[in-house]
Amino acid sequence: MHFVVCAKQIPDPETPPSAFRVNEQTNEVIPAQGIAPVLSQFDAIAAEAALRIKEAGSDVKITVVSMGKESAAAAIKQVLAMGADEGLLLDDDAFQGGDWNGTVKVLSAAIQKLGNVDAVFCGRQAADWDMGQTGVGIAETLGWQAAIIAKDVKVEGDKMVVQRVLPDGFQTVKLPLPSVVTVSNELGEPRYPKLAQIMQAAKKTVTKWSAADLGLDAGAVGASGAQLKLERLFIPQAGGNVIIIEGETPQEQAQNLVNALQADKVL
Amino acid sequence: MATAEVAFPEGKPARTRVLGAWWSTAVGLAGTGIVVAAEAERTSAGREVFWNEVPGWLAYTLMSALVGLLVYGLVRHASIWMLGKPTPGILADWPNRLRNATRFGLTQDKLRRDRYAGIMHWCILSSIVMLTFVTAQVAIDDDLQLHFLTGNYYLFYSFYGDLFGLIGLVGVGMALYRRYFDNYHRIRWDERVEDHLIIWGLGVVLLSGFFVETFRILATELEQHPDWATWSFVSAGMALFFSVFEMTEPQMLFAHYWSWITHIVIAFGWLGLIVFTKLDHLLFAPVNAFFLRTDAPGRLNAIPNIEEREVFGVGQIQDFTWKQLFELDACVRCGRCTNVCPANLAGQPLSPMHLIQDLKRHLADVGPELQRVGHAGGDVRAVSPVAMVGEVIQDETLWACRTCGACVQECPVLIEHVPTIVDMRRYLVLDEARIPATAQQALENMEMRGHPWRGTAFERTTWMEGLGDVPLFDGSQEYLYWVGCSGSLVERNLPITRSVFRLLREAGASFGVLGQEETCNGDPARRLGNEYLYQILAQQLIETFKSKGVQRVITNCPHCFNTFKNEYPQFGGHFEVLHHTEFLAQAVQQRTLIPKFPIATNTVTYHDSCYLGRLNGVYDAPREILAVLPGAQMREMQRSKSAGLCCGAGGGNMWQEELGERRVNHVRTEEATTTGATGLVSNCPFCIQMFEDGIPAIQPDEESRMRAFDVAELLEQAVLGPDAAKA
Ligand SMILES: Cc1cc2nc3c(=O)[nH]c(=O)nc-3n(C[C@H](O)[C@H](O)[C@H](O)COP(=O)(O)OP(=O)(O)OC[C@H]3O[C@@H](n4cnc5c(N)ncnc54)[C@H](O)[C@@H]3O)c2cc1C
Ligand code: SF4
Ligand code: SF4
Repeated sequence: MHFVVCAKQIPDPETPPSAFRVNEQTNEVIPAQGIAPVLSQFDAIAAEAALRIKEAGSDVKITVVSMGKESAAAAIKQVLAMGADEGLLLDDDAFQGGDWNGTVKVLSAAIQKLGNVDAVFCGRQAADWDMGQTGVGIAETLGWQAAIIAKDVKVEGDKMVVQRVLPDGFQTVKLPLPSVVTVSNELGEPRYPKLAQIMQAAKKTVTKWSAADLGLDAGAVGASGAQLKLERLFIPQAGGNVIIIEGETPQEQAQNLVNALQADKVL
Repeated sequence: MATAEVAFPEGKPARTRVLGAWWSTAVGLAGTGIVVAAEAERTSAGREVFWNEVPGWLAYTLMSALVGLLVYGLVRHASIWMLGKPTPGILADWPNRLRNATRFGLTQDKLRRDRYAGIMHWCILSSIVMLTFVTAQVAIDDDLQLHFLTGNYYLFYSFYGDLFGLIGLVGVGMALYRRYFDNYHRIRWDERVEDHLIIWGLGVVLLSGFFVETFRILATELEQHPDWATWSFVSAGMALFFSVFEMTEPQMLFAHYWSWITHIVIAFGWLGLIVFTKLDHLLFAPVNAFFLRTDAPGRLNAIPNIEEREVFGVGQIQDFTWKQLFELDACVRCGRCTNVCPANLAGQPLSPMHLIQDLKRHLADVGPELQRVGHAGGDVRAVSPVAMVGEVIQDETLWACRTCGACVQECPVLIEHVPTIVDMRRYLVLDEARIPATAQQALENMEMRGHPWRGTAFERTTWMEGLGDVPLFDGSQEYLYWVGCSGSLVERNLPITRSVFRLLREAGASFGVLGQEETCNGDPARRLGNEYLYQILAQQLIETFKSKGVQRVITNCPHCFNTFKNEYPQFGGHFEVLHHTEFLAQAVQQRTLIPKFPIATNTVTYHDSCYLGRLNGVYDAPREILAVLPGAQMREMQRSKSAGLCCGAGGGNMWQEELGERRVNHVRTEEATTTGATGLVSNCPFCIQMFEDGIPAIQPDEESRMRAFDVAELLEQAVLGPDAAKA
């Protein structure tokens, strides 16, 4: 079997608030000085899901695919070190500035070009824009089934059995192969690579494909192909108002707190 | 670059006292000799050595058997040690090694850290050494027909023979008391039959020796030469006692004969225990002292050519060096290491003694088979039926270690537990990738973000806000002030960084900081076993230092201090490193900082962080500062200086969940509160965090509770006034 893991490199979500700045004129995030981009955490978990199936004994090749700039090779290497077999970087100036439609087109074209892919593993959402669109978008484009927000993924015969997280419980679904699954953090921590694997990953070369390689028209992807318009990007002003609830005894304080909450219509 | 200190740096060279014990013994004996010699009338004292037709051949037969046994035992042991990896260059620095062998083998420098045991052990050892000498003289006197055991020397010889017999019995008595009457003493935590055998055996050897003398004196001296007999003051006393029974001459001869046989057989039998029991420490302890590291104790060894290896850590017993295997055999199960181990004190799953013993047993279990398969060219990695790391030694055990070095500090036979533990951690992390989740996050964070503090809301420059002009290091200043990850990214430590900064500025120091360009120096990665990540981070930072022209560094944190000072030289980074307390103590001494304002905290106790104290020997500088703070009175904790107890955060435990009965920081905080001090002062950002957490747990009442400070915070109050920090 051949699995594809889609991995996105994102600005570090743990950038300290004071270092996170946006340019409100151009609606762009200003990259924080000295803070390197990271692999989106959900994508590491998606890779973990694919690797668990491989480890359970299936004969699986895992290709990790990322659309991004040269720096995204680091995210690919990270997944290779976890145990993926091959890396593919989709890098072209034409991909820049696009919305999820563009991302989906590029990734889908790459998956088609790879050929014989049995399953695609995405994160439930990229931890920067948090759209949660790419996985289902790929399924739609390729005409495959998709299961989103998975906490467990198994392959049984020619079916994929996915346990999904719902707001009020879990749901188990069976999908035909090929399918797309988006994986959530309930699956568990992604593994820490062994040093031998890190070294092997370092030696692997990452294949690079451009828009031309994928047979994509530059006008259909990236900024020029975008259908979504970003109206305004800004950092909201967080404010707080502290009221100290007085009272002689803990009981009285609790009562006053309840009164205040009722007065504010919170209770 | 090796530091000048050998083994663990002590505050003061206390070994002189132990040497003193030996010297005073020697001088005392020599004095007695002179007294005897000065007796005007030369006596004709003397005796026939193998008097009463005792079978001298028996002694020689037993001795040959013993020598054979010893050779056999040693060869067998040595062939097993040789399963380990080579230790290139271990003989370099041999003068220091010889010094160590003398210091720890002969003068027993470690033993006296427990005074009772020190005295006991000195009694026993000196008695064995001297009585061996006494016996050897008998043999030489008779066999070489030299007959020098005559006259005054014979009297003197009788005197010190008895004296050391008595000293030996005192030692045995002390040992017996500890073993049987001291409630569940540490020496009984792993008690075995051999422990009883060794001590009772020695007692019988010494007593039977006295009986031999007693009956000889009874038969030949007590009446005939009472003035000779009195020199054998113990045996003569015993003879006097036996004279009451009015034994006949054949009875005396019979008693003498059988005492002699008993003495000889048991004595050689006892020495034979060297081959089979922990009595082997008689040989192994001084040898292990010789092989003790002579560089800085805070340094972990580097894995050389890490990128070209197949196995990185130690996952199987043969991955240790032969020295590490040899060490296992030297352990005497005294429990000293476990007795001071912070993890053990808190009821956590680590006892360094049991760790060493478990490894020793495992070596005995699989060693011979490893040898066989190795010689046959088979796959040695398939030999062990159990996983050494994981089954023989549990993962939790390895993770519970604080790398505090207390065990190494106490071990009388100079076992180095920490490198052994870290080698196995390296296996867990690098070879197996089996790591507690929280520690893994810290490691990943170091990889991704260059610091271990996941989720920090601070930047490396946040602490600078409101301080005015903070100079960036550009090579023109004398010192780099190294703030460190904790000093800039952990809320509680920011005020400490500011205090140090204001004091440096006040003292007129020429310094600069790196600001955004600081990255983790790698210490937590190394302690957590990720040597690979450590080497990457260390090499990067050494490059940064070199490119900026850094020569002298002042650090906030003892861990950064230890890393720069002791570990960066392994990678070609040679810098002069001061901990801030050292620099500040100098400034106070040179009056560039003048403590004049009384500080609000009137009683303080001082906690020695392991990496500044025990591992680097800086005990005095922080205390010198505290001593000159107006209005502050110092109260030492029971465990302090080289016997200090870890705060619990060391060895990467800052980023781990603790398993066990208690948390180490609670144990240590409790010790601090018993001093009654209102300020708990330390020098390390980790210690401070641990105490900030521990104090509320031990002292729930917020009003009256003790507060945790860094030395610099209190000094700042005294130099710049109580409101300086608020400005
Ligand atoms: C106006 C505008 C401008 C933008 N400009 C840029 C830009 O210049 N550069 C840029 O990179 N993004 C840019 N983006 C974000 C980009 O549009 C998103 O990648 C896309 O919308 C997908 O949404 P998401 O990242 O939230 O992914 P989601 O749909 O939340 O992602 C779900 C999963 O899809 C997979 N996935 C998503 N993106 C990729 C990828 N790139 N490679 C591999 N797998 C992926 C991952 O598995 C991920 O976990 C821009 C967005 C807008 C609205
Ligand atoms: S270094 Fe400290 S924590 Fe580790 S085993 Fe030794 S005493 Fe215990
Ligand atoms: S390792 Fe050292 S301190 Fe610990 S029990 Fe053995 S001999 Fe004693």
